[in-house]
Amino acid sequence: MSTVRSEVALEAGRQRLRLWITAGPGLVWIMLFLLIPSAILLAIAFFSADDYGNPVLPLSLAPFQQVAGYSLLGWDSGNIAIFLRSLAQAGTATLVSAALSYPLVFFIMSRPESLRPLLLLFIILPSWTNQVVRTYAWLELLGPNAPVSWLAHALHLVPPHLGLAPGSFAVTTGLAYNYLPYMIVPLYASAEKLDWTLVEAGRDLYASGAKLFWHAVFPQTLPGLLSGVIFVAIPAFGDYVVPQLLGGDRALMIGSLIANQFTETPDWPYGAALTIIMLVFTGLGLVAFRILTRKLGGAEEATI
Amino acid sequence: MKILSCIAAGAVALGLATPFAARAEQPTLNLFIWSDYIDPGLLTAFEKQCNCKVVETDYESNAEMSAKLKAGGDAQYDVVVPSSYYVPELADEGLIQPIDHKLVPNFSNLAVKFQSPDYDVGDKYSIPYQWGTTGIVYDPAKIKDPGTGWGLLFDPKMNPSYPFVLPKGEGRDQIGAACAYLGYGFNCSEKSQWIAAAKLIEKTKKRPNFSGFIDETPARDQMKSGLIAASMAYNGDITQCYADGSCKKLKFFLPDQGAEIWVDTMAIPTHAPNPKLALQFINFILDATNGATLSNYNQYASPNAASQKQLTGIMSSTLINPTDAEMQHLVFLAPLRGAKYKLFNQIWTSVLQ
Amino acid sequence: MIPRGVRYALSGISWPVYVLLYTPLALVAYYSFSPAPNSTGHSLHAYNILLHDGAVGAALQRSLILAFGSAITSTVLGTLLGYGLCRFRNANAKGFLAHMPSLIIYTPIIMPSLVFGISELIFFNFVHNATGFLSAGLGTMVIAHITFQVPYVALTVFARLSGLDPYLFEASYDLYANGVKSFFYLIVPVVQPAIIGGFLLGITLSIDDFTISFFTSGPGSVTLPIYIYGAIARKGISPEINALGTLMIGTIIALALVHFFITRHRERAGQLAARGKIA
Repeated sequence: MSTVRSEVALEAGRQRLRLWITAGPGLVWIMLFLLIPSAILLAIAFFSADDYGNPVLPLSLAPFQQVAGYSLLGWDSGNIAIFLRSLAQAGTATLVSAALSYPLVFFIMSRPESLRPLLLLFIILPSWTNQVVRTYAWLELLGPNAPVSWLAHALHLVPPHLGLAPGSFAVTTGLAYNYLPYMIVPLYASAEKLDWTLVEAGRDLYASGAKLFWHAVFPQTLPGLLSGVIFVAIPAFGDYVVPQLLGGDRALMIGSLIANQFTETPDWPYGAALTIIMLVFTGLGLVAFRILTRKLGGAEEATI
Repeated sequence: MKILSCIAAGAVALGLATPFAARAEQPTLNLFIWSDYIDPGLLTAFEKQCNCKVVETDYESNAEMSAKLKAGGDAQYDVVVPSSYYVPELADEGLIQPIDHKLVPNFSNLAVKFQSPDYDVGDKYSIPYQWGTTGIVYDPAKIKDPGTGWGLLFDPKMNPSYPFVLPKGEGRDQIGAACAYLGYGFNCSEKSQWIAAAKLIEKTKKRPNFSGFIDETPARDQMKSGLIAASMAYNGDITQCYADGSCKKLKFFLPDQGAEIWVDTMAIPTHAPNPKLALQFINFILDATNGATLSNYNQYASPNAASQKQLTGIMSSTLINPTDAEMQHLVFLAPLRGAKYKLFNQIWTSVLQ
Repeated sequence: MIPRGVRYALSGISWPVYVLLYTPLALVAYYSFSPAPNSTGHSLHAYNILLHDGAVGAALQRSLILAFGSAITSTVLGTLLGYGLCRFRNANAKGFLAHMPSLIIYTPIIMPSLVFGISELIFFNFVHNATGFLSAGLGTMVIAHITFQVPYVALTVFARLSGLDPYLFEASYDLYANGVKSFFYLIVPVVQPAIIGGFLLGITLSIDDFTISFFTSGPGSVTLPIYIYGAIARKGISPEINALGTLMIGTIIALALVHFFITRHRERAGQLAARGKIA
């Protein structure tokens, strides 16, 4: 009896050893080079800044007051505006990519099966080129000397001599362009699993097109849509390259604001406090996503 | 798949072979300097002289440079080129080290008025590199009446529609210019004056034709291509593009409400990997002929007395050597230290966001 | 399934979107052929300048070292990680510790790349100040790139392994009676497509990245994206930058299409989705 038990214990120990040998290096690597560094970054938010923006003792909550908008110029709505703008731009980009993804996904579904992977590939392809390249490409299309901007001048959408880029419009466009594949792929995956008998049943009940979509198609693709929303909204909210290249400094987004605290006028504790706020938003988004998917039947659970 | 693995193998071989080849025991001088500020020919000449490699990395503002130094760059770069008023700040922060004058014999070439300046008594941390002024550049094809002060940038009536920019940088020039425009003088130092200037810039930022915070040299390059019509600029940047013919149509002036005159200096970061080489480089730049080559290339005035005879052409213009009348309203920015520095930075940070 | 009218509408919306996706890229290519100064007509002038620009060559070399160096390491780490978690993890374990591996693996995927980059910047800075090691440069960039690639490789391999019959593993143990042997003779060949897929995904992620590279780079470690970004921030877009962009876009599209047609009969849309960076 005891030998059996010790044999079992021994086997469990061996199993643990094997787990450590195989999974250990990768896990330790990520711990060492991501979890510890980000813990340090978060900790810095609770220090005070010395005259040169370095974190020093005593511990302090002053960086968070700064985040809330209190500065030497008195309270300023600037930071709140930046948060709201980042949310609005990420939200619009998500909406635009979702609105484009539905027709695209069902267009691909309506093509012969052999063509579908290729059509999907052509949507994903631009995202394999470098982020800087595909973002600055929009400057060519929206810049002050480009045809699209002349059209905008003619329609009085922008003041003369200025282009659609840099500006908020360009940032939203750039974000939607950058993250469209992240919406398409999960949506396509759930559309592929679509149960068409439900749609046929709906059609037999003489439901109109819009009603048919709303009641028979949309609920079935909702898990894919939700994953897409998460994959687009979270990175778009904290994006750095797009606002930097297409935004100018008038439409400052949270990403650029954080980066400024480390690259231009250093104030590490303030930058770290802003980072915490950004991560809180990210976390809230994820939690909302988890609750929603669970309510919808827990379709997209983590695999590992 | 075979093809891909071949490509992969090839690239890996390439990748593994090159770093070792490059590591052939040659010392490297890491130079961290403003963009377009040194003749590549001079770097090649120095490489020959010292039997070393020079790696040049560029920055656009003192703030950018000091942020990089703070984030570990003080152990990676051998020579940096801070502006005069920024030297005490870097020294206070412990980011630059004292200069060993024994190894810089060419120091005596410097004009006496550039030796032992107020910002760095005894030339303890820095050696002058070049000097110049900061004014306004504009496109006369678009702007008919630029005025004589800073109004072109701060008065919406003077430029209601053409796109313009302000530098991002560390804010000293911008707050100074706004102060000068408001009548406090370029070197304003009262908190209330700074705040008033900051509010003016915040208002300026909201104008529809303000197209962002872009530093001087990139702004000049954007002006060349006609993207913007007015900006702050360094005198030498403009002389430089007059000389190569790429910006003949642009005009530059020093606002009479007050503008900055500055000296850029060479300094050695505290933990520079190669301080000996850095001193050798500083001495090399102070050589009479090299100093002249430098000025003839980057079109900034040289603090090197021994070089003056060898300067050519456009170097004698008033753009490089301001007239006595202009000198009247040119000021050196006073260094900020400690709490004053922090206060200024907080004000500038809130302007930027 | 889809009525004819709706199909027309879908085509009517979708084809213009496809065109729009490639218009900016096409414009980059178009402007790269702009005439040389003081002449007219399209030319290869910009490409000629590019060819003789040493800085671009050096940047390309660094980008390749970065992409392949990080992808090879992360493929090894990620494959072992995916394999270990699939085979040796006690499926019945409960509690925080049992969830740790999942948490660790998903963090790099969820973390916004800006936060990722800045964390690394500060960390390498601290380590360097304390020990003198890890000064920012190509080395730190490779470390950071490995960190964000490992989870994707692990997930790709894990997905492939968990689709296999568990008896396969037991059979292999009977055959080889040795964990190491069974890993190399059975597991590696079976999951080879996933390993290669993970490797290619790592390369793609590395080439795509700018933000993390930007914050972990040091003196003399300018890669192609950092070079392009710096040139645009400084001088705006030039024909040379467009030429460089065109070459990058062209290479990626060509490689992707070649790979697609070579593997098309083997891989289906599911794996494609995995390579679209969504695990």
